[in-house]
Parts: sequence; structure tokens; C-alpha cells
Amino acid sequence: MEKVGIVGYYQVKPDLDAMMSPPEMIFNAVRGALDSAGLKRKDISTVIGCTNDYYDGKTISNAFKVDAGGAYMKDESKVEFDGAHAALYGVFRILSGNHKLAMIYGYSMPSCFNYEAVRILELDPTFDRTVSLLNSYSAGGMQMRAYMKKFNVSLEDIAKVAVNSIKNAAKNPSALPEAQRSDISVGDVLESEILCSPLRKLMYPILCDGTAAIILAPEKQSLKITDNPVWITGVGNCQDTYYLGERDLSISTSMEIAANKAYKIAGINDPKKEIDIAEIFGHTTCEDLILAEAAGLCEKGNGTSLLDGGPALNPSGGTMSGLTPCVCGLTRIIEAVKQLRGEATGYQISGAKKAVATGQVGFCAQNNILYVLEGGGN
Amino acid sequence: MAKVQPAIISSGFSEHASKRSDVNMAELVNEAVENCIQMANIDWKDIDFVINGNMPAFEGANMPELWMGDHIAAKNKPMLRVTTGGTTGGSVTIAGYYAVASGLYETVLAIGFEQQSCGDTAIGLASVALGEVTIYPDVGYDFARMRSNLGAGAAIGVASYQAMNYMARSKATEEDLARVVVQNRRNAAKTWWTHLKMPTITIEDVLDTPYISYPLRFGMVCPATDGACAILYTTEEKARQIADIPVYVNGVASVANEPAILAPNMGGAGQVDPCEQLGAMKSAELAYGQAGISFPNKEIDYVEVYSPFPNQELMWVERLGLFEENMAPEAYRNGITAWNGELPVNCSGGVNSTNAIGASAMERPAEAALQIMGKASNQVPKTVHTAMGHGWGGAINFITHVVMSDEPQRKWR
Repeated sequence: MEKVGIVGYYQVKPDLDAMMSPPEMIFNAVRGALDSAGLKRKDISTVIGCTNDYYDGKTISNAFKVDAGGAYMKDESKVEFDGAHAALYGVFRILSGNHKLAMIYGYSMPSCFNYEAVRILELDPTFDRTVSLLNSYSAGGMQMRAYMKKFNVSLEDIAKVAVNSIKNAAKNPSALPEAQRSDISVGDVLESEILCSPLRKLMYPILCDGTAAIILAPEKQSLKITDNPVWITGVGNCQDTYYLGERDLSISTSMEIAANKAYKIAGINDPKKEIDIAEIFGHTTCEDLILAEAAGLCEKGNGTSLLDGGPALNPSGGTMSGLTPCVCGLTRIIEAVKQLRGEATGYQISGAKKAVATGQVGFCAQNNILYVLEGGGN
Repeated sequence: MAKVQPAIISSGFSEHASKRSDVNMAELVNEAVENCIQMANIDWKDIDFVINGNMPAFEGANMPELWMGDHIAAKNKPMLRVTTGGTTGGSVTIAGYYAVASGLYETVLAIGFEQQSCGDTAIGLASVALGEVTIYPDVGYDFARMRSNLGAGAAIGVASYQAMNYMARSKATEEDLARVVVQNRRNAAKTWWTHLKMPTITIEDVLDTPYISYPLRFGMVCPATDGACAILYTTEEKARQIADIPVYVNGVASVANEPAILAPNMGGAGQVDPCEQLGAMKSAELAYGQAGISFPNKEIDYVEVYSPFPNQELMWVERLGLFEENMAPEAYRNGITAWNGELPVNCSGGVNSTNAIGASAMERPAEAALQIMGKASNQVPKTVHTAMGHGWGGAINFITHVVMSDEPQRKWR
């Protein structure tokens, strides 16, 4: 695969209640991304949005986001999974050679809808939805139980990872302010409310309003736009089977397939050594570990070792810095880009050259996507 | 020009009807996928990437491909969901094109479906007729008045404005509209998968039905259908091995205009005239440009346009550069667009006869591809070299446009 450059990005500061209209949120992100790359709206040749009609409470909600997204009279489309999936469609369009500059944005406002309730509509309507036992918490709890039992991992170990993520989020200026706690301890996590045993409240992210946008361009154009592009050198995507009972929840087959595909394209043989940064989108702290293991960043069942060495796990705080549906995957890409460009002021990992960023959708990370990113200019 | 030339090797349909209560969503989609894979004579394992789409709010299921995956050849495979309202099918078709054109994936299955009997389409569309709700409080519009706007109806409310504007411009009569309906429904009777099959319908029959919203009568309006459609893409090299006549997709575009329904008075923002269609013209320009077509009215042999309402069929064939402005009604009167005419339009019966919304915009390119392969149920007598499939949706602001040919894109362009 030819390299695709990320030449600009912008995150609207996450907020529990942003007090902005959807077009304003999207406009700010798209405008910010264009400004960060020094481009104008006329330079965009295609726009891919990521919104969800159920989260917006409106049919064809993307029809009313055309002007705000900079897509007026542009070749436009929408992906309805995660922002990272929208970026995949953007990569397709750039690689095809038909387009020279792709704007990707993701948007949702959980302050206007109950995410956990709306997620029930993702369930299979004949059985799971009518029985109504499955939700984000119960799925997260079952997954965590399966992981702890299979690999003999203690609750304290997982709490340590949560503490690490929350402390990382405290250093990240673009994290949700309510999620930033530098004084947190393992005891705090273990004593927090039980959402669904053994899942604790502080192992589950806080939902917040947010928007993010990135700009993609082919290699040649990227070098003209910026001295410091970040390259997408590999991408893989895979969907697992739906029924949780048919899956081994302690591992992630889909992430394994996705990561292998991405590493093969990017020419990475030993991700443990070659990758410096891992920005993982897990719905719970435990899922972060499962996905990081499936992505080959450490041995299976040994995810907690990432705290001691190897690729840096979620230096931005990951989802513990605030989770916005439809945006989170894009945020992970942006955080990895910041590290590779040396723009992560306050939480910069020195000498970061290669990173992975993931996105997902579905219960217990059913559909995963993984990007391999490499630093450019310096 | 795409670096890898994508080609359609087969397209499949499910049986369409107003209520497919004999199957659930996954089974309905599976019918189309099986039909598509059988025609291409390949194995499920050969599919590298699956793209799916439907109208999100109609069945009350968010991202149904998550639980349908195993039934549509997507287990342990990459999967993407693309939805853009009425153009969903077209957008999925275009996404399939790009997945192959990127060079990342070889064989790609694109699926569009709708099981409208699972939900209430009119309720789903009502929130579209309301425009961007967040601006209402800003202009001092309260909820009760907002609700009264539902009187504009769902799709028909918008379409009747469009029909009036078109009739005023082109001097088309109600009889002209009925003529389009008769052509479509008679064509539908000759295609196996369609919904409203009316082989003996006449213009008088159509004009004898009551108005729903002037000038559109009950007999002119599309049905609500359950159905699914699938298209299989692969690269040029592989297509030559698999298919007798591969259909090369040479131009795609999906240009977004600003939404036509935004202001509280339903007047639209900048898009004052809903039959002006700047987006469609720009889309056509882009797609024809990619495909190297300079004279669409001469170079294109077969057309499938997305027209739930007959006035739209007349409007689209003009806006997409196939006829001079305001000349379409005359062309229909002279039989140019008939099955055996110079430029056959919608020989599958079009959306006017079958409207499974998420699939409709995909059935257009799918049927156009079958006409090039010579495998359509209602195969036209002339040889089809170049064909075009079109879709519209959103708040009449989305357009999808797919241009295909039996020849790959000429490399010297």
C-alpha cells in the first residue's frame, strides 16, 4: 500500500454538556483541522462523516451536516461505525487516486441521549433485545471475568492499569476535565461503585460530547502541505461473530486478524519491539488489555506488563480521558499523531517513531480496526 | 482515474414484496447475497471485504450488520457500514468501488437492504421533514408549531413541491406524469424481483386514482417494499477470469448539496427550487469526467434513475445530461425511453414500482450492470455498452452517480 499522510487534525475540547448545536460542533472541528494544515475549504475534494442516526435522534441526520462539514458541492459520504472506520473509507478514496484531500470528521453528543439505553438497539431484535440482559456494563463484566479467569489476572492488576490511564489523562490537556485525576490510587478504583461484577466504575470511561476531524492526503500532496506529516502505513479491519457465547471473550480474534493484516501491509515483523505508542480504544480498562494483547503488543494474558515496558499503552489516557461514540477512534488516531509529531506537550513519549491506533464498534469489541502510523519529517 | 480498475461481476436480488414477513432481516439479505454469489459462481471464502447499508431508522435496529454478519458472508472479515439515507444503496455501491480501487482488497461484496414492514417509514421520515431541529428554538419556534410542520408529510410533501416546479418549467401535464408510471409498471411486470407488477395498466387508470398531494396521485406514488440487493466487485484481472462480460465501473460521484428543508417555513435555505438540482449536475459532471464521457446523450445506451415519483424521472434524465432541459416529456411521448427505444430508461420498473429504500439506489447500478452483461430479466433489444445508475436521497440534497461500461477505462485519457 502507498503511504497516506495525515496532514491536519483538530479536536473540539470534550465536555459533559457542550452547549453547542451539532452543526457548530462539526464546523469547529472541520475549521480547526483546515487551519491546522493551513488549507481552505476549496482544497477539500472529499468529505467522509461519521455520525449515527440513533445517537442523533434523527433520520438521515447527516443530510443536515453537509454545510457544517465543509461538504457543500463536494463528493461526500458517511460511515456509521466508528470514526476510525470513516478514516478507512477516506484511505480508500485517497489510495484510489480519485481524490487528493479527504476530510474525515466524527461527531456525537451523549449529553443529548442515553448511550447505554440507545445501545440496546444494537442488539439482535429477536432474542437479545427482548431478554434485555446485555448492555455495556454486563458485557464488560462478563468479558472481564473471562479474562481474569483464563489468565489468572487479579482485580488489583487491572485496577493498576486503570490508575495508569487516569493519571495519563490528567496530563493530557485535551482530555475531559472531569476525567482528569492525578491523585487517584488503586484503592479508589477498587472501592468505586460496581457496575457489573467485577467491573468497577473507574474502569469504565466517562461519556462526553465531542467532535474530531483529520485530513488525509496522498504522499506527494502531504509533503507539499506540511513538513511534518504522519503516515498511515498499514490498516486492517475485521468483524467477529455476534453472539458473545460463540466467542472467547478473554481474547479478541477480530483484532488479531485486523492487526496481522495491518502489520503485513506496513512490513512490521515484531510489533512488541517496533511499536512505540499504542492508542487503544477499549470500552473498559480490561478491554484495553485484551485488544493490546490481540494486537501483538505483548504476550496473551500479560497485558499488565505494558505498564513496566514495551510500547507505551494509552499515553493520552485512552478512553479513560473521555469516550465519545463515533469519535473515539479518530481521537485515538489524533493522539498517536500528536506523539509522532512531537506535539503532545506534557505527555510526550520521547523518540516515538511508530504507533498503532485502534477503533471498534459492537459489544465486547466485535468489529475492530487498527492503523499503523509512522512519523514523517523529523 | 482509479489506479486499480474495479469491475462488477454479478448482482443479486431478493424477492421483493410489501411484507416479507416470512423472513427476518438477516434472511432477507441472505437471499440477495446468495443470488449474487451464485451468479458469479465463486465461494463465500473468496470475498475479502463486505460493505452494508440500510436506512438506519426504519427497522428500529442500529447497525444491524453487527448481528447479521454471520448470515452475509462477513464472519471474521472486514466490514464497513455506509448509510446516507435514500442514497444508501448508491453510497454502498460507490464504497465498494473505492475498496477495490484502493488496491487494498480484491473481491468486495456491497449490500443494500430494507425491510420496511418492520417499522413505520413515514414516522422515520417525519424527522427529516422537520429539518435541523436545533435551529428552531433559536428562531423562537415552539414544539407545537414545529409539530404542525409534519403536515408537509414525509417524502411526498417534498416531491409535490418539486413536481409543481418541474411542471411550471417544462409545461409537463398530469398525463405526462401518468405516462411515466405506465412505462415503469409495465416494465416491472417483466422483471422477476419487482414489487408492483401491472402489465395492463393504462394512463386513464393512473389518472383515475385520487390525489395524495397535488399533482401526485395515489397511482403515481412508489410502494413501500421489503427487499435486498447485492453487488460483487473485483479487480479487472480477476473479473476477466470469472465473468463472461465484466462490467467496468469507470466513474462514480456522490455530491452533496445543502439540505432543501432547513427553514421553519419549509422554504429551504439556498435551495429555493427543488428541481434545480445543482448537486446532480455537478455529480454528473464529475462521474462523466472520470469515465471520459463527453456527450452523455449520445454515449450512454441505458439509464436507471432513482424516481419514486414520476416527475422526478423526467427531471433526472434532463439534469443528468441525457436530454435537453424541458425536453423529457416529449421524449417519453415519442417512445424514445421505452424498452425498445433509442435510450431505454428504467426497464426494471424503477423505484416507482419497487422501493426498498436502502436497496433502491443500489438496484439502479445493479440492474444497469445486468443489462450490459445481457442477463437482465427485461433485457433491452439493443446492445448496451455504457450504462448509468443514479440515486437521490437525504433532504433532496444527496446524489449518487455510477457510470459503467463493458470496456475498461481507456488508459490514454
